[in-house]
Amino acid sequence: MKKSKSMMIIFLAPAVLSYLIIFLYPSVRTAFMSLFKVENITDAVSKWEYVGLQNYQGLQESSLFVQSMKNLVNIWFFGGLIVFSMALLFSVILTSGIKYKSFYRAIIYLPNVVSAVAMGTMWMQYVFSSRYGLLKGVFESLHLTTLTNIQWTSPDMIFISLLIAYCFGMIGYYMLIFMAAIENIPTSFYEAATLAGANIWQKFTKITLPLLKDVFRTNIVLWTISSVAFFIWSQVFSPLNPEPGTVTPMVYMYQMVFGNNMVVTDRNVGAGAAVGVILTLIVVAMFAITSKLLKSDEYEY
Amino acid sequence: MKGLKRLLIFLMVTMLALSGCASQNSDAGGSDDGAKVELVYWSMWNSTEPQAVALEAGIKEFMEKNPDVKVTINWNGREIRKTLQPALDNGQKIDIWDEDLERVTKNWKAYALNLEDYLKKTYDTTDGKRYEDAVMGSLIELARYFSEEDAAYAVPYQPFVFAFMYNKEHFEAANITETPKTWDEFLVACEKLKTAGYVPLTTDDAYIDTLLGYHLARYKGYEWVETLVQDKTNALWDDEAVLKTAENFEYLATQGYLSDTVGSNKWPAGQQDIAAGTVSMYLNGTWLVNEIMGSTGPDFKWGTFSYPTVEGGVDGQNAANYGSQAFQINKNCENPDVAFELLVYLTTGKWDTEIAKQSFGVPVSGTAEWPSQLNEAKSVFENLNQVYPWAAGIQADTDKLPIIAEAFTKLLSGQFTAKEFIEAMK
Amino acid sequence: MRYKMNKKTAMLPGYAMLNLWILFTFFLIGWIVVASLSTTSGIFGGKILSSGFHPSNYSKALFTHNVATYFKNSMLYTFTACTGVILIAAPAAYILARYKFKFSNVMESVFVSALGIPQIMIILPLFALVTKLNIANSRLLLIILYIGINVPFTLFFLITFFKTIPKDFEEAAAIDGCSPMKTFWIVIFPLAQPAIVTVTIFNFITVWNEYFMALIFANTSELRPVAVGLYSMIQSMRYIGDWAGMFAAVVIVFLPTFLLYIFLSEKIIAGVTGGGVKG
Repeated sequence: MKKSKSMMIIFLAPAVLSYLIIFLYPSVRTAFMSLFKVENITDAVSKWEYVGLQNYQGLQESSLFVQSMKNLVNIWFFGGLIVFSMALLFSVILTSGIKYKSFYRAIIYLPNVVSAVAMGTMWMQYVFSSRYGLLKGVFESLHLTTLTNIQWTSPDMIFISLLIAYCFGMIGYYMLIFMAAIENIPTSFYEAATLAGANIWQKFTKITLPLLKDVFRTNIVLWTISSVAFFIWSQVFSPLNPEPGTVTPMVYMYQMVFGNNMVVTDRNVGAGAAVGVILTLIVVAMFAITSKLLKSDEYEY
Repeated sequence: MKGLKRLLIFLMVTMLALSGCASQNSDAGGSDDGAKVELVYWSMWNSTEPQAVALEAGIKEFMEKNPDVKVTINWNGREIRKTLQPALDNGQKIDIWDEDLERVTKNWKAYALNLEDYLKKTYDTTDGKRYEDAVMGSLIELARYFSEEDAAYAVPYQPFVFAFMYNKEHFEAANITETPKTWDEFLVACEKLKTAGYVPLTTDDAYIDTLLGYHLARYKGYEWVETLVQDKTNALWDDEAVLKTAENFEYLATQGYLSDTVGSNKWPAGQQDIAAGTVSMYLNGTWLVNEIMGSTGPDFKWGTFSYPTVEGGVDGQNAANYGSQAFQINKNCENPDVAFELLVYLTTGKWDTEIAKQSFGVPVSGTAEWPSQLNEAKSVFENLNQVYPWAAGIQADTDKLPIIAEAFTKLLSGQFTAKEFIEAMK
Repeated sequence: MRYKMNKKTAMLPGYAMLNLWILFTFFLIGWIVVASLSTTSGIFGGKILSSGFHPSNYSKALFTHNVATYFKNSMLYTFTACTGVILIAAPAAYILARYKFKFSNVMESVFVSALGIPQIMIILPLFALVTKLNIANSRLLLIILYIGINVPFTLFFLITFFKTIPKDFEEAAAIDGCSPMKTFWIVIFPLAQPAIVTVTIFNFITVWNEYFMALIFANTSELRPVAVGLYSMIQSMRYIGDWAGMFAAVVIVFLPTFLLYIFLSEKIIAGVTGGGVKG
């Protein structure tokens, strides 16, 4: 095909330019900034004070930041476990020839299109309420006293509550991806397995799961990216001050850079930048690990 | 397919046009209606709050009286704590803003105008007095105190005291004739309330740490509390005062003086219990009256008493966190005279009374009457002569605060003993 | 049928689980709607049905807040950004899919790597930049940002698609004397319609629900989109202890999206499933 240089430049330029301005320049500058003490986000570079790795050291010593990283890991791991297993379960049920499939599918996916602020408020102010909450009401009517007495928004439960609410919304999306992948697997595979006398569980573990490897890889990367960006749910669950159960690195950085709600504090934009660098490294590492562990082997079908 | 493309192009063109128009409109602003002076006010209130409604009406009247002044209000809500400074750094046109007196002075003094000259002048609504003599002198003094250079950088309004707010009907029914002065009296009152069938005390996640801060400060003073939380070695948590404080609260929990839901209260759930009449006391600012007015109605019988003293403690009931909301004027404001006139208009005479009345708050000018709900708060206020910082210093380390709050919540809800609480702090 | 289940009974646990889930979802939304028509004391007293019918919660929420502005903003941001993203990403994706040049592979992976950069990494310098350029707080800025952050994903998505279009189309067009640029817009771009629709649906949902950027870059109420607007409405209702009003605000924001979803759910779902599977 004939190459047209001018066309290539015209077609590529806007995308490249937007990438340079919105991604490359800021990332480099943030990485750089993480080595400085910067009081105001708008300070010129000349006002930055070089501190080496002190910002990172400070983060390591900050109990709140350490807590936020723990929460992130827990959200990623336990949330991932819940979301992936539920999504997989639903997608297997929905692809097994069930009636009203598209209705069920649509409702389960619904929370994804609704603003997280609205969903979070519903959970926080209704489901988990210790006065008129849905869970309290349901358990009460079943006479399950211990469950009724759980205070879902107390410090030791709030993380679990947050996780449940978050996962509830995320399951639909991953379910759709799994469903599409399962539907792509030719039925002949299963027919052959049936002839060989395999039961449902064997068919699932021997055929479905291995063939979903690629999808798993994509999903894990997507899940990592969305976990790292965990912010708005924390805001809805702890709107005033960060609390140990809900704080995430994004929330921590927001406080670091824009100041605390109630008290007068030192702000350090450099530390906020360091949080960004750490999170980016995590995503990159996750990306590398999953690609390595779940190496893509091509199935032809 | 052509249809889609056309649609896309159409959408894009209209949207771009819309966005163009919109931004032009907001830029051009008042220049059409001949206004000469434009002021932009960033408010700490949400547009639905009574303070906002009253302020808006006051500002509107000011504009009617001064047709060449146009004031644009941006209702930020409390998010202003995070949005204002970046916007100021940004050079956005913001002439006036408001927030808590301590916070505006300590955080944003560098952006604000020194108001000393303006305070010494007289204005139409100050009855011939200098402005600083027409309003509560103690607050002007407080503004100077916070600035650390004996100059006021803020105009106070809406004074508050942070103290125990209680339901007087409960106290009467429980036959408590005098408000508690000491911790022992406080415990007696709790017992009486409990016997009378009320839950004595509750709080919410937003304020839970204030109980701890006040109690520790009664023992050792607020400066000690600040050192306590800022000390990275955590050695001070072994102090006897901490243990006594923790045991005092453990006692409250074991005696059933605290609401069952105190561990899970998300603000303002606990406040709604006060409104519903199931709980009697709540440590809060006098603004509580206004914040739950929607549920209590104006006939709720409010009482106020200062945090009780503790045995062997250094601070008396004359020390508390008190202060006010406060306006600041941007030091780069093009028309500071007009801006200050507006603030005078809002904080004296008719509108001072009106704002206090509509928001069941305290008027800032000495002459205006306090709302009946705050009668007792007035005497508490008049007896104060030592000011605590917010939460008596317990929040001085933002990093430590969430951990303190969590452990203290567990102490109050009975999940921690006093010893476990102290362990958790180290 | 993936798993042959001869007996209907084998599906019963599946139906039971699905129905429980659906029931919960409906109950959740239903309660919020009923509560939004109740009163605060009714909600706290557990009597949302018997506390009367109070549609005034809605008029309060609608008229004392800029709900209409929030929606207008969200619509403006979403439509413009979605269109802009396509106009920028589609041509670039086409070049990267079709032409091999020195750095084409590098460029492709550089773009893809942007998918892994968390927003937190780019937000601080962007804030400083717009401050310096004095363009903070305008609708245009938010639109530009929304376009910029969605370009890499869109590009990545469209490259995969363009690679599947046979080259015959361009060759035929070249024989007809059509310039390559014209060929793209007239021949290829329309062919890519299904992929464009799919990716636009994704972008639409992302931008419509975006919160963090808007929180930081749009700090006046005239500029706020729905997500941030709703958050500030909820906060404000909490400050005046108006629970019913708070739930009304939630419903007001929830409802239009929900209605739209009812009509478009098939398309949206087809979009998600059509695109997301490629590893």
